Amino acid sequence: MVPTYNFENADVVVGIGAADFLGTWPGSTEYSYQYAQQRKLSKDKKQMSRHYQFETTLSITGANADHRTPIKPSQEGLVVAALYNQVAKLTGGAAINAPAIQVTNLDKAAKDLVAAKGRAVVISGSKDVNVQILTNAINSLIGANGKTIDFGAASNLKAGNDTAMAAFVQEVQQGKVAAVLFYNANPVYDYPTGKTFGENLQKVGLRISFADRFDETASLCEYVCPDHHYLESWGDAEPKRGYYSVIQPTINPIFKTRAAQESLLTWAGATNKNYFAYLQNFWRTNVYPQAKGAGSFENFWTQTLHDGVFEPKTVSASIIQPETQVNNSNTNDAARPLTQPTATPAATGSGVTFNADVNAVAAAIGQTYKANSNATELVLYEKSGIGNGDQANNPYLQEFPDPISRACWDNYLAVPKKMAVAMELVQGDLVKVEGKGYSIEIPVLIQPGQAEGTVALAIGYGREKAGKAGNKVGKNAYPFASLVNGTMSFVAPDVKISKAKGKWEIAQVQTHHTIMARPIVQEANLNEYQQNPAAGSFRPVVESSEGPKSPTEINIWKANGHKYLNHSWGMVIDMNSCTGCGACVVACNVENNVPVVGRQEVINRREMHWLRIDRYYSADPVPEEAGLIEKNRLLEEASANPEVVFQPMLCQHCQQAPCETVCPVLATTHSSEGLNQMTYNRCIGTRYCANNCPYKVRRLNWFKYHNNEKFDFHMNNDLGKMVLNPDVTVRARGVMEKCSFCVQRIQEGKLNAKKERRRPKDGEIITACAQSCATGAIVFGDLNDPETRVAQMWEEEQGKRGFRVLEEINVRPQITYLTKIRNKA
Amino acid sequence: MSHVVSPVREPLVLGGKTYADVTEDICRQVEAKPTKLWNIAFLISLVLLGIGMYSAYRTWWYGIGEWGLNKTVGWAWDITNFVWWVGIGHAGTLISAILLLFRQKWRTAINRAAEAMTIFAVLCAGTFILLHVGRVWLAYWCLPLPNTYGSLWVNFNSPLVWDVFAISTYLTVSLVFWYIGLIPDLATIRDRAKTKTARIAYGILSFGWDGAAKTWQRYEAVSLILAGLSTPLVLSVHTIVSMDFATSVIPGWHTTIFPPYFVAGAIFSGFAMVLTLMLITREVFDLKEYITIQHMDVMNKIIIITGSIVGVAYITEFFIAWYSGVQYEQYAFLNRMSGPYWWAYWSMMTCNVISPQLLWIKKIRQSVVATFILSIVVNIGMWFERFVIIVTSLHRDYLPSSWAMFYPTLVDIGDYILTFGLFFTLFFLFAKFLPVVNMAEIKAILKTSSDIQLEAHKPTVKAASHSEAQTRPAYNKDAE
Amino acid sequence: MEHNENKFLVGVYDDEDVVLSAVTNVRNNGVRIYEVYTPFPIHGLDEVLGYKRSGLPRVAFFFGLTGTTLALTMMIWMMGYDWPMIVGGKDFVAFPDFIPVTFELTVLLASLGMVGTFLIISSLWPGKKPLLFDSRCTDDKFIMAVDLGKNKLSADEITSILKNSGAVEVNTKIVEE
Repeated sequence: MVPTYNFENADVVVGIGAADFLGTWPGSTEYSYQYAQQRKLSKDKKQMSRHYQFETTLSITGANADHRTPIKPSQEGLVVAALYNQVAKLTGGAAINAPAIQVTNLDKAAKDLVAAKGRAVVISGSKDVNVQILTNAINSLIGANGKTIDFGAASNLKAGNDTAMAAFVQEVQQGKVAAVLFYNANPVYDYPTGKTFGENLQKVGLRISFADRFDETASLCEYVCPDHHYLESWGDAEPKRGYYSVIQPTINPIFKTRAAQESLLTWAGATNKNYFAYLQNFWRTNVYPQAKGAGSFENFWTQTLHDGVFEPKTVSASIIQPETQVNNSNTNDAARPLTQPTATPAATGSGVTFNADVNAVAAAIGQTYKANSNATELVLYEKSGIGNGDQANNPYLQEFPDPISRACWDNYLAVPKKMAVAMELVQGDLVKVEGKGYSIEIPVLIQPGQAEGTVALAIGYGREKAGKAGNKVGKNAYPFASLVNGTMSFVAPDVKISKAKGKWEIAQVQTHHTIMARPIVQEANLNEYQQNPAAGSFRPVVESSEGPKSPTEINIWKANGHKYLNHSWGMVIDMNSCTGCGACVVACNVENNVPVVGRQEVINRREMHWLRIDRYYSADPVPEEAGLIEKNRLLEEASANPEVVFQPMLCQHCQQAPCETVCPVLATTHSSEGLNQMTYNRCIGTRYCANNCPYKVRRLNWFKYHNNEKFDFHMNNDLGKMVLNPDVTVRARGVMEKCSFCVQRIQEGKLNAKKERRRPKDGEIITACAQSCATGAIVFGDLNDPETRVAQMWEEEQGKRGFRVLEEINVRPQITYLTKIRNKA
Repeated sequence: MSHVVSPVREPLVLGGKTYADVTEDICRQVEAKPTKLWNIAFLISLVLLGIGMYSAYRTWWYGIGEWGLNKTVGWAWDITNFVWWVGIGHAGTLISAILLLFRQKWRTAINRAAEAMTIFAVLCAGTFILLHVGRVWLAYWCLPLPNTYGSLWVNFNSPLVWDVFAISTYLTVSLVFWYIGLIPDLATIRDRAKTKTARIAYGILSFGWDGAAKTWQRYEAVSLILAGLSTPLVLSVHTIVSMDFATSVIPGWHTTIFPPYFVAGAIFSGFAMVLTLMLITREVFDLKEYITIQHMDVMNKIIIITGSIVGVAYITEFFIAWYSGVQYEQYAFLNRMSGPYWWAYWSMMTCNVISPQLLWIKKIRQSVVATFILSIVVNIGMWFERFVIIVTSLHRDYLPSSWAMFYPTLVDIGDYILTFGLFFTLFFLFAKFLPVVNMAEIKAILKTSSDIQLEAHKPTVKAASHSEAQTRPAYNKDAE
Repeated sequence: MEHNENKFLVGVYDDEDVVLSAVTNVRNNGVRIYEVYTPFPIHGLDEVLGYKRSGLPRVAFFFGLTGTTLALTMMIWMMGYDWPMIVGGKDFVAFPDFIPVTFELTVLLASLGMVGTFLIISSLWPGKKPLLFDSRCTDDKFIMAVDLGKNKLSADEITSILKNSGAVEVNTKIVEE
């Protein structure tokens, strides 16, 4: 049973292992939102959470942590044990007997956890039950249960049972299975022994798949009965215990598909095969009774469809009990965590108590983990874009650059700098990775923050039958996983890495990773901020004949700029809230018909993303006596365990835009509402505007990206073109494009308000990026309207955390960034 | 009338030439059938042109993506080549116009070919304007023509629009200046023409020129005014071209030194190209007595001067970058010197600053082989200068997240070859069908030179020509 | 009286200095010279022939002024009145930015206007048939043409004057209209 968390209640968060709750964990969107509530600062909120992360490969969560410590997977259990002991000592509990281990920041973490008792949480990403038990023990000691962890509203997002699956695989191999139906499952690809599983599948008499394509598993099935696409389907979901949601279709089925549920009803010989009727009936019987004061069922149903979710006021026990889902004689009791909810948990599960034998657990951990292993350990992880690989055929996701490595269209072996230097490897060199009886040749990427003696490889790649965009992209990492004590372990504890012949260029959208001591990103620590809200700011000042002036006070034009009297669209981007997840990037691509260009063009540095999340690593301090050339060279090197900052960068809609001045044909001008306009049909493609943009946010259509065999993505066929937003032009070859602040949405919002004879209200007009940001890091609106959040934030943070990037060149952006404040101890 | 020239000066035309000799020497090339050498050279030009046309087709049909440009480096070979060609072109105007205003008679041997070089170079630059635009078929939108979009005019704040006006004006004025200068010589060829085709063709081209004194008077006035207009024009054109960079905000581009720096560089590279062409022409067309070592010597002196100005400009840039204390500016120059394109930067420095200094040595200055090699080295250096300015400034500007490298593709190179093909095709056509030296102007300075020659070779020459009976004029009106 | 319509005496000289003094000489002797044709411009020839200074520089000036006016009017009207747009936050009429185009159009109109005027007043156009008294005037001889129809002196008198002034040949030419 997987609990859910309430990070908004946590003043101290400690994550150990693959605890990527901001990135790839199920529920990460909700967790990001909660976490951000604790990271935001304002004049009324001068406190923020402190976050420690102990992990192997640099993840989004680790990048956001205030203190990050690299650890090896072989040390993980000992780290948790050591933390337990420190916390126990501070809370007057008994220590457990486990081998000692020195871990930076662990003592600070323990102190902070105890000081924040009742408002702290420890999370573990481990698949080892014992480690999870020990984590639960720590959480118990710091009073997390019911406050920051919710055992009542358990997560239903991952409900698989590794032992049961292993048993099934064995039964298939033994020919004991007569029939199998695959629904949203592709084990021939993503099961570690998927290949042999596939071979053994022949032994199963009846094989049916509901997949929408001949994927790796479906192509081995006798019958493929494609389910509707989720946008064509009726359905429901209970993502967290007690929280219900409906799935409703948005278009009629495009192809001759049938809802899987209807197929099942048909084969079951039901009298009414209609799934919609079945669904409604289910809700009438099971969910509607929980709705107090909802009126008739029809009322309730319509309201739920409108809202999309139904959260009963008091959550009763889930209708489906996860424990009873799998009725399998081979179920191993040890596979389930020993923390049991009481019979009818209240909404917050506060009635949960911890009872397990920590000493037995410590002993087991002592056997399994080592403080100083010499082996090279391979960690398998999910990239936040591609995930487990079932969306591998989505070109937008393939082209989405990984927030950490900025690479796309590939997976690669992430190695620490020390190992690369020792093995004389540079980025792109091919290496052979051997382990668990499997080997691949894969390019190397030097990853700052990767724990020494470990390497990392992303799963979700190496597909053979995903579709033309996803096939043969990267290498399959799943076979490195294996069953360990009944759970699937995504760590290969001992792999051999050897140089292979040749190179393979990794497509990265960013190849320089440090800030070069430029005040583009401004940072401070919380204690400095609390003393002085303008901590960390760089306020450029220009010496003039009338004394020092801010750049915005200097102008050769008498009018000193045009006034925007009606609307003035602007943005505030809070660097404390931005976790770097990149959902905004994908949203922008989809909203604005941004073309996909493919791996080779990304290597040629021509990806078309209007919005990007720049990720900067810190560099080690440069020695004073170093010469200028040496200093700059050193500044280009990221630290071995760097600080990470994410900066969303998009068109700043400068009031004194350098791009507008230089366009010969007036294809880019300024609107009366503060937008830098891009007139596609006027642009003749001189590229002067892109050269003159100091933020480098402009993109040229180098080729014709639609109806072009060389770019065979969604703009080359009729079905793919249904993805396009009809409110936005598809640009021709030779034309410039860039962020327009979703002008189509602005116009629509203004028009709707006008039809109702009123001004647009805050929140009615929102850009795609702001809309999709889970943490609310991007706030968009009318700076001229004092009622809007953006105007209020802008007003409040001037002279404090508010800064503009490259303020000294006086282009006067409409976007204010808020200084990143970390909470380091 | 004889121009009063100090006897100390070396004669500008050697070999004791008469007017008839001049006519014969220059027209001979035009009237003769193409030589084998010309045929081969012309064929090579056509081949280069052919290769280039294929590259141009790829660029126009498939898109600018055929080049090596990317989201960070939006200009590279295209604008480097454009500025390189425009810069080369400025020497022709300088020779025609500014040297005319400064009464430098030695310009007469080379000004026709130099002006032709200007026109062809500007045409080559214009080719790049057409090639580099994303939607070439709409390039005319840069002109403020009435239209059905509003009318939607152009952005007069943009240096590219200034370029449109500047380059168009420059091409037109240079063409006009060159052509007006050609008319009297075309008349000469017309009057010597043996075939009907030649008579008709050169007849049409010479506009019915008859050499009347009144017409010459007006002609001189026109030349002087055109020279007076062309001088600020040539300065303004390359200033405007430099403003493509100077008015931007990018470190390495945003600098007020560019106008004089570019103009000096243009003259520098233009003179080098004139030398390259003239050293070949004088050899092939046997014009060593008209384009003398003296001419080469003087042009080399101009090259030292302008090369040194360019060198001083480079040093000034470095100094100001350091003195300004602006980290972006400082990094731009550190990166040029020691970053991934350091080899381009040091090529530029060696070719432009160090190698021309060799010309202080008289022996080198007056050696045809050394000058020829150095002239090519200078142009290579000047190509690198524009490449360094454009690419190193763009590839690493303000935000390190955008830093990227630029690598040229075969199409980049092919489009450059196109311009060489175009230039040499036009130049060889010019050399074949038009007189490469301005006969009328040479004849105008001949007397003086002959005088000196006659003085120097008194015994032998006196008996030969009867014209020397009138050598000493009845009265000696002052020279211009 | 001889029929002297369209009849010209053509004096051929082979030295530029001789021609210059010859013109003065001939004129002093009462001969009206139709025109002198030379392969290159001779400094001072126009003065001794009594020609007024060319007005083309003034033409260039006025065309140039037209260019300046045209440029400024065009830009100020287009950017300031017809369709003003905010470009880079600048004033609509950003005067310093208008200088380059103004200069270029001034030079362009001055040049083209002056050259066009020159060609028109000198009767030069593609395909015009030249009036050549001696085709060597574009080679190495200096030709003095005297219109007998406009001169009181007889052909013989003029011939001897020409010969005395240094002409190496004196020919006759009939000019058809």
